[in-house]
Amino acid sequence: MGFPVSLRVDDEDVPERAADAVFAWLREVDERFSPFKPGSEVSRHGRGELEPHELSEDLVEVLGLCERYRLATGGAFDVRLPGRGFDPCAVVKGWSVQRGAQLLRAAGARRFCLNAGGDVVASGGPWRVGVRHPEHAGRLCTVLELTDGAVATSARYERGDHIIDGRTGHPATALLSMTVVAATLTEADSVATAAFAMGAEGIEWAASLAGCEVFAVVAGGQVLRTADFPVAEEPSADV
Amino acid sequence: MKRAIPVVALSVLGLISVWRYEPSLGPTETTAAPDPAPSASAGPPGSSTVIVEGTTITTEKGPVQVRATFEGDRITAVRMLQQPNHPQTKTAVPKLVAQTLEVQSADVDTVTGATITSDAYKESLQAALDAKGG
Repeated sequence: MGFPVSLRVDDEDVPERAADAVFAWLREVDERFSPFKPGSEVSRHGRGELEPHELSEDLVEVLGLCERYRLATGGAFDVRLPGRGFDPCAVVKGWSVQRGAQLLRAAGARRFCLNAGGDVVASGGPWRVGVRHPEHAGRLCTVLELTDGAVATSARYERGDHIIDGRTGHPATALLSMTVVAATLTEADSVATAAFAMGAEGIEWAASLAGCEVFAVVAGGQVLRTADFPVAEEPSADV
Repeated sequence: MKRAIPVVALSVLGLISVWRYEPSLGPTETTAAPDPAPSASAGPPGSSTVIVEGTTITTEKGPVQVRATFEGDRITAVRMLQQPNHPQTKTAVPKLVAQTLEVQSADVDTVTGATITSDAYKESLQAALDAKGG
């Protein structure tokens, strides 16, 4: 799955190769975890070609996350849907970008913002993160402020009805978009996708998770958010 | 073995303090005390069931009254007869704020949204931000 990655590092003493390492890691993840590459570890696992002891530690970790969210959502979030291959993209993306952010920190980066196809890890903020309006591509529906943390959004507006409610086998359509703020992108991205798959009840489910703040746009245009969702101060006059 | 003696002595002292400790139910102690007080009513004949209704206690969240059922000296059930109608006494349900969907433009550092493909990126706000940042 190709998606653009934007990285901004404000520390002056962080070598360029730290950023190169992040992109190299994400390319490696694509090779190993893409369900669209027949030779990837994920594809081979999906076809049952790997013995349990042949799974990498990384894949075992990803499988654990997938199972955790499948159970937590009563099966709404499921990476093994009938008639479809094993597709853990929803978990792999957040997990791998979070790992990339950890590579940056290990290289000494303190103030950076890593945006992978709309999923954001922020460090050393404050950073102002706009939430894309679900109906107007060039506009925002809110702005949040993140110092250290992550935010992810799940929605249908870019790739259509691609999130399936595993309980019904039908696309989840009750929400226009689901934005989740959490300490790590591993959690924010998984929870956003899982809650989107659950539909309306996913809002309360995500909101009840410790450390998760939620901004959900319900079909029809109403917003439901947690009281502590970190909405940024009113923008100044230079808007 | 010499050392064992003070250890044993300490343990005994520790136990004594446990024995001496009487469980406290805080402000509701009077209501749940296993004392067949005047408000107690005996259970069905032939059993040692005793039901004790506590007095109503006023807390800052409102009045609280419990009914405790004893089998012998064991509490087998506690029922709230009165409880404050206060959010803290209910199961922790996340507090959600409802608002209308706004359309905004604002200066931001980055944008979160559904995963966009590389094609869609060219037209996206994030692309504009990246271009601005050089």
